[in-house]
Amino acid sequence: MKHEIKVNINGQLRELTVLSHQTLLEVIREDLGLTGAKYGCSTGECGACSVLMNGEVVNSCMVLAPEADGATIITVEGLSDDEELHPLQKSFIDHHGVQCGYCAPGMLISAKALLNRTSRPHEEEIREALVGNLCRCGAYADIIKSIQVASRARR
Amino acid sequence: MKPFQYIRPESLEEAGAYLASERSVKLLGGGNTLLLQLKSGEESPDILLDIKHLPGFKDVRYHHNQGLKLGAAVNLQHLVMGLEIRRHYPLLHQTAQKLASPQIRNRATIGGTLAWASPVSELAAPMLCYDAVCHTWSPRGRREIPLAEFYLGDFKTALADDEIITHVHLPAFPNRTYGVYLRQTVRHDGRRMIAAAAVLAYRKQQALTHWRVAVLGVDNRPKRIPEAEAVLEGTPGEDDVQQALHIVQENIHPEDTDYARADYRRVALNALVRQGVMQVIQQLQSMRS
Amino acid sequence: MVTRKTHIIGKPFPLVEAQKKLTGVSCYAGDEPFGPELLHARILFSERGHARFRLLHVDAARKQEGVVALITGQELRARLGAVIEDREMLAAEEVLYAGQPLAVVAAESPEAAMAALSTIEVVYEDLPGVYDLEDALAADAPLVHPNMASYRGFEQLNPQPERNLAHRIAFQRGDVDKALSEAAFVLERTYSAAPLQHAPLETHGGVAQLGEQGELTLWLHVQAPFLQRQVIARALKMPPHNLRIVTQCVGGSFGSKVAVSVEGLLAAIAREAGGRPVRLHLTREEEFRAVFMTPAMRARVTMGMDENGRITAIRAVYDWNVGASVDPFIVEMQRIALAGTGPYAIPNADIQVNAVYTHLLPAAPMRGLSIAQVHWAVEQHVDELAEMAARSPLGLRQQNLVKGGDQLFPEFVMHANGLESCILETSRAIGWDPAQQRIQTGTTARGKGVAMGWSPIIVFPHCKSRATIQCDGENLCTVIVDGVDVGQGYYAFITQLIAFELNFPMEWITVLPTDTDKYEPDWQAIHHNLLWSTGRALLQATAELKRQILSYVSEIWEEPVTNLDIVDGEVISYATRRRLSVLKLLQEGTGEDSPPVFRATGVYEAPDREGGLGSLLQSFATTGYAAEVVVNLETGDLSVLQLAGAADVGHAINPEGVKAQLKGGIIQSISQTLLEEMRFENGVPVTIDFMSYPIATTADMPQQIHPIVVEIPQSTGPYGARDLSDHVLVGASAAIGNAVYRATGVRIRELPITAQRIYDALQSQAAKVER
Repeated sequence: MKHEIKVNINGQLRELTVLSHQTLLEVIREDLGLTGAKYGCSTGECGACSVLMNGEVVNSCMVLAPEADGATIITVEGLSDDEELHPLQKSFIDHHGVQCGYCAPGMLISAKALLNRTSRPHEEEIREALVGNLCRCGAYADIIKSIQVASRARR
Repeated sequence: MKPFQYIRPESLEEAGAYLASERSVKLLGGGNTLLLQLKSGEESPDILLDIKHLPGFKDVRYHHNQGLKLGAAVNLQHLVMGLEIRRHYPLLHQTAQKLASPQIRNRATIGGTLAWASPVSELAAPMLCYDAVCHTWSPRGRREIPLAEFYLGDFKTALADDEIITHVHLPAFPNRTYGVYLRQTVRHDGRRMIAAAAVLAYRKQQALTHWRVAVLGVDNRPKRIPEAEAVLEGTPGEDDVQQALHIVQENIHPEDTDYARADYRRVALNALVRQGVMQVIQQLQSMRS
Repeated sequence: MVTRKTHIIGKPFPLVEAQKKLTGVSCYAGDEPFGPELLHARILFSERGHARFRLLHVDAARKQEGVVALITGQELRARLGAVIEDREMLAAEEVLYAGQPLAVVAAESPEAAMAALSTIEVVYEDLPGVYDLEDALAADAPLVHPNMASYRGFEQLNPQPERNLAHRIAFQRGDVDKALSEAAFVLERTYSAAPLQHAPLETHGGVAQLGEQGELTLWLHVQAPFLQRQVIARALKMPPHNLRIVTQCVGGSFGSKVAVSVEGLLAAIAREAGGRPVRLHLTREEEFRAVFMTPAMRARVTMGMDENGRITAIRAVYDWNVGASVDPFIVEMQRIALAGTGPYAIPNADIQVNAVYTHLLPAAPMRGLSIAQVHWAVEQHVDELAEMAARSPLGLRQQNLVKGGDQLFPEFVMHANGLESCILETSRAIGWDPAQQRIQTGTTARGKGVAMGWSPIIVFPHCKSRATIQCDGENLCTVIVDGVDVGQGYYAFITQLIAFELNFPMEWITVLPTDTDKYEPDWQAIHHNLLWSTGRALLQATAELKRQILSYVSEIWEEPVTNLDIVDGEVISYATRRRLSVLKLLQEGTGEDSPPVFRATGVYEAPDREGGLGSLLQSFATTGYAAEVVVNLETGDLSVLQLAGAADVGHAINPEGVKAQLKGGIIQSISQTLLEEMRFENGVPVTIDFMSYPIATTADMPQQIHPIVVEIPQSTGPYGARDLSDHVLVGASAAIGNAVYRATGVRIRELPITAQRIYDALQSQAAKVER
């Protein structure tokens, strides 16, 4: 069954035709062509598909497309403008927050959600914020460090 | 997923009409359980009713006499962030903080989470301790189901097929209420639960201290152990605690799973309940002096 | 003036590909933008471990709406194998493992593909299956491969076909029986490790397309494109030059994207798709069910020690459950044998490494894991031996560890190594106190443990590694290599090396995705040896490139080339002080001729070496680990409080990168030691998602992680460096096991270490004490 939905995606208002049984992840990747959010598990366990929906981090593979009608969505592509990388992205580069990189977009989104709430999070708060993002390379220590450094260098 | 019709009903009556129709209907809250069932094909309803936008379903209201009203569509993250939760229902806050992940909590609803009657449902433990009551609506009218009577075992609840949880009510508890939630799991984020216990004690002015003990992972549903609570009433001594632990063991029916045997779950639970009771006793005593 | 010492090598440097990955630029499996022509492939997998089977309604499936092509084992007889072809690409009459492909379809949408496959009915006739080592090796066990001798490559094996023993490697030195009979202390124990899954976050997948001239292009996310091309081409009876593999970003491999898994089927179905591109991207469940596992290990170890604390003898038999194919795992077995004594100079040794066939998913090696599991056994064994003889765990290791100059194999003399530094620094980092290793408070106890390890770096004779660098005005400096960056910092290393050798800014250098069309189809450098082999090739290429550039400018300036050098991206003359920006030279030329293009290829070819096992050895990576755990003595519940890991990398070209690898290895070790275990029922995996197969989250991190870089230069490596990433896990699980022993008094010899196992061991011990 088709739905016409209105979504604000990375600051742009879009009107989309979606199917009731599509997930938000499929819409983002296939219909909007934004490949940052990743397919990792489809069961809401790995966080590789994380996006901000109305300011909250969610697994987009576990959101049905029509649920997003009226929502504001931010994906990793919306973090930086054309000019400059977001401080989080810069920090992940500088502090080895990226190994194979597959978890990185999800990690950035979870980090952004955290920093929106808490400007100088402790290490424990960062660990808690990232518990839903799996990194098989095991880069957690450097990811946490990247976020800590970025939090001190906010715009 | 087999295609279905996604509907956002604007009133309970509208929702009721769909529920009463010939077509198969499932209620969509946070979707953490339902989407898995849809993807695996375990469920293939004709209609999905998204209850998150029903009037009042996102209400949160606290009053120091009347207690807390949580709309069925309030998400679990609110239990972590809400000031009234932290202040007046700290055991709920403490448990919610450990639950799953931010991604899951931002979507999971109170109603949907409680209605998924898993024996390891972590939300149920503090809710049972706080004497939560589920308020429901069906085409036949409204009713109240105390959470202690809500879980029938083996994933069944007291809800009828056409009944919707509208909100959950927690009575007001006195200032002197102390609780702790402890769990043993394989992974430290909570996955693969072996056992868990929520222990709470509260004392109104000059009255006896009353206890609540809720356990997970050791029976076919989350449950309280009222006989153990009775033994703990007041300020329990060492013998009382031992007796309470013994009663807990007699009232649970754990099963073997691939990662934890039934006898081992008993051992784990015993340690958790004992630790929980001791911690609460300590809190009670330190507030007294 | 820039000096070599300070400029680039040894300084922290960010990963080159990082920016792309952090901004969501498409490059992984499933990202490929191929437009509406793209078809979707799905595979039908066997649901039984061992059975004869028939497929029904296949023609009906073919005719379903949206289906473009469908192949079963009846139409395609193809065998896969780099060494031995013991796998069928599609089962034809008999399935040998649950997860074996039975059919592959390409359709207009994933839904149409699934609908077609669900039309097919599989009729199974179950056959007796063997799933574990005991059953497979039993006298009357059904044979997994009764016709092994007919497989291409069989002559490369050392099997016992009548016993499901696919391959055996062994070596002996001295006289173990005599040494054991004379030893003051003898200890015999059995250890085991459960099968695991690689579980990369990016599942297997890619796109394939048949071109107009019959050439097949595969865009794959694999670690070994040249190997895959060779194996797939042979399986599909195509000339290798007709098969082109272009790699993209790899979202983790850990060894699962080396041997061909579903990539062959993607190629096969693309050949039938009328020239349209076909995408395959496995679901997570398919990834768990149908790719690879890591082999379960059983290790039977006997060691002898004299009164003076000298370990005089070791006999170790390592049995590996490799599932229904030995081909992916066979390349690891020599390394296991070479590592099998542990990092000790033991004069009498008898090491046997056996690969056993069962009716399970084929096993592929995982980053450092099998050698780490060998050390799970050996390092707990040495710890127990130390206690038997009332010697300190550190002291006994220091006394017996292998030193530079020790000759353990006829063809190999051990080089100076960092074992002692690794173990001393890690134990110091966690506050190791010889007097007090166990601290008990009420029902909890804390304990510390140490372990060390070595991991052989081998090079097969004649294997080649190539690197080509081209400098031109349009793309500046582009590099083609035959290895792939899977997150281990390979591209960063390449960029650093070239920038350093040519004195170019790092921003000028781009490593291109590996494309098999650029090179001859040779067997390429082994992945655990990339730094060494690519490094050697690059040093050649940069030397030649520099020679070309300086020679070109020396002609223009009419100066001897010995006057010239490159500094900060400029050619300068020490004699006349003239400067010429290389960028300007490449983009504008000198006004007279068109701008030059410089291009150089370096090749490293491993020498021919006659001799036994030891002749393959190039060097050993060495590691040390120290752990502190806290255990609830009532329930066995445990947490790792601290984990320190040290590796001797010769010379740290990228010290922060090395630490990042160490930290990653520490987390993977925690995950593999405490959380992970693949489980089967009648040969069918029941661990099929991240709920049933949990991998470590941030909540499982130790409170403190100590990554320590040790540098004992490797004289033959580029800048004295040695490879790290494949070796980094070795010793961690044993350090944790030793710490658990110290905290609880019980030793767990099976991986994973679980609370229930510790509880059971404590109960057994208490029962023994009572009697």
